[in-house]
Amino acid sequence: MDIRKSKFYKAWFKDAWPYITGAVLLSVFQIVTLAATGNPWGVSGVLANWGAWIVELFGGNVDKWYYFSSEGAQATLANGFLKDAGTMRNLGIIIGALFATLMASQFKIKKLKSKKQLIAAILGGLLMGYGARVGFGCNIGALFSGIASMSLSGWVYAVFLFVGAYVGSKLLIKFFM
Amino acid sequence: MAEYELDCFGEACPIPLVKAEKKLDEMVVGDILIVLIDHSCAMKNVPEWARKQGHNVEIDEVDDGEWEVVIEKMK
Repeated sequence: MDIRKSKFYKAWFKDAWPYITGAVLLSVFQIVTLAATGNPWGVSGVLANWGAWIVELFGGNVDKWYYFSSEGAQATLANGFLKDAGTMRNLGIIIGALFATLMASQFKIKKLKSKKQLIAAILGGLLMGYGARVGFGCNIGALFSGIASMSLSGWVYAVFLFVGAYVGSKLLIKFFM
Repeated sequence: MAEYELDCFGEACPIPLVKAEKKLDEMVVGDILIVLIDHSCAMKNVPEWARKQGHNVEIDEVDDGEWEVVIEKMK
């Protein structure tokens, strides 16, 4: 039997899962994360720590940086890359996404279309990274976990997320179409 | 009845959708537009939008992670 024709293969691996399934799973796992690690789910803060570990790898030191000056941040950095729950979570996202795309046989290395695309991607990445740090989190740490923790800041974040997406879409059409 | 091809390989949301909208505007009823996509979320939102507009849509998975969305302009 051709596995590609199996309805279970289609439902589990080939077709995108319904939004409601994703929403329920994300909610359940963020509760598990909070219960197991004592911290709400976050993604981009971990990336900042990865940056700090890379700096340390090359002999640099971030002890005097204001962002890493809290005791908690220092403890996380001292514990190391492999002993960080956030690191494991982010690696899990990358490996899980790869697994999903391989199972659906949709893996493809995409070509860059233009120099403009490259510049926009780098610029966008830098802006997102900077914004996530000065905004005390990304759309996971500040929005999703914020709202899940009954924090008003999560809702404020949501409003300005829409403002930003509106302005961003206008810019995209102006410069990319 | 003309056939057009729109190469959207390497382009992420929402660019394939906006490009398809623009191109379809220039076409006449009965024309066919083939949108080449390698971004899985565009493979969902381009057909969804086209069907909502009342066009005929067919999706063809041509290779690993590559799709052809065939849209027949209906109105």
